[in-house]
Amino acid sequence: MGKIFDWIDSRFGVKEPHRRFLQRPLPEKLNYSYCLGGAAFTLFLMSVVTGLLLSIYYVPSETEAYKSVIRINEEVRLGWLVRSTHKWSANLLIIFIILHTIRVFITGSYRPPRELNWIAGVFTFIFAMASGFTGYLLPWDQKAYWATVVGTSMAGTVPFIGNALLYFVRGGPEVNGTTLIRFYSMHVLWIPVMMFIILCAHFHMVKKQGISGGL
Amino acid sequence: MNRRDFLKRIIKSALALLGLSFLLSLIYIYPAKIKKKGMKLVHAFDEEELPRRGVKRVDFSYEYGNRTINTLAFIVMAKEGFIALSPVCSHLGCLVNWDRNKGEFLCPCHGGRYDMEGRVIGGPPPAPLTRLPLEIKEGKVFIGIKV
Repeated sequence: MGKIFDWIDSRFGVKEPHRRFLQRPLPEKLNYSYCLGGAAFTLFLMSVVTGLLLSIYYVPSETEAYKSVIRINEEVRLGWLVRSTHKWSANLLIIFIILHTIRVFITGSYRPPRELNWIAGVFTFIFAMASGFTGYLLPWDQKAYWATVVGTSMAGTVPFIGNALLYFVRGGPEVNGTTLIRFYSMHVLWIPVMMFIILCAHFHMVKKQGISGGL
Repeated sequence: MNRRDFLKRIIKSALALLGLSFLLSLIYIYPAKIKKKGMKLVHAFDEEELPRRGVKRVDFSYEYGNRTINTLAFIVMAKEGFIALSPVCSHLGCLVNWDRNKGEFLCPCHGGRYDMEGRVIGGPPPAPLTRLPLEIKEGKVFIGIKV
């Protein structure tokens, strides 16, 4: 590697463990379906980067949210591109997580000692879905509003604690500005942080346990 | 108690505190004030606009705080007289539409169906459409809404 990198790494020391990570034994029968998880992670990173860019212009308020989304699409230079990329990478992320799950299921890679990593993967999927659900409200248009009315109403149908749960999710009896800010906070702070933690665990286990040999 | 056990206990109590603060954060997230809803009669339209038969959709607005809120209701000429129906589907809260050709209310979200008087005739709704209080005074029609 380059001189600058060597200077840094002689102090930071990430090369050696990194090499051990990259140069590990792999089973013989690998094919491209083993790339689905990596593809999903790439899409996650794309969502993060485009999301960071969107947050520069998006305003999470009852009166401003919709206008700011229109502004991103029509005024901001390349705004349409960033927003579309965010949308598509998010949609494809869900699809690729599902495809990855199917691959893991077919090759039986969830079997001991990898059960815990399957569970971590399930949490990843839940967080991705939660991110999709909260992100869907943020444009604050009719479709977003009614989707959230319907989606959160389901929480209200839980026996006994339904109402409390509904207030908890909506921040009140109705979907309004409070709900918007709640969902925004979840979408840009809470879920990404939890996703980061669970992905670290997911990749740690992949490294420790190695790629499964398949069937 | 030796030092090792003491430190273990310290760590355990710190973890317990962490768990407690997690519960406290749930309290923090729960809305502090949930406004009690009261019934308010709103002047929706005038008596001559009442439907002679069938169902009529009325759009009206009212002042709440410093905002104008637009809402709607369905006025039905039923056997026992006029009734006002809330458009909110009892399933998951979408707004239903009146289908004149079929003579029933249809919910666009999951296909809930109600007859002219708001009774469920199909789909997932667990209860009929809510009947709103309706009053006619001095040529004006008032509809009761929850605010």
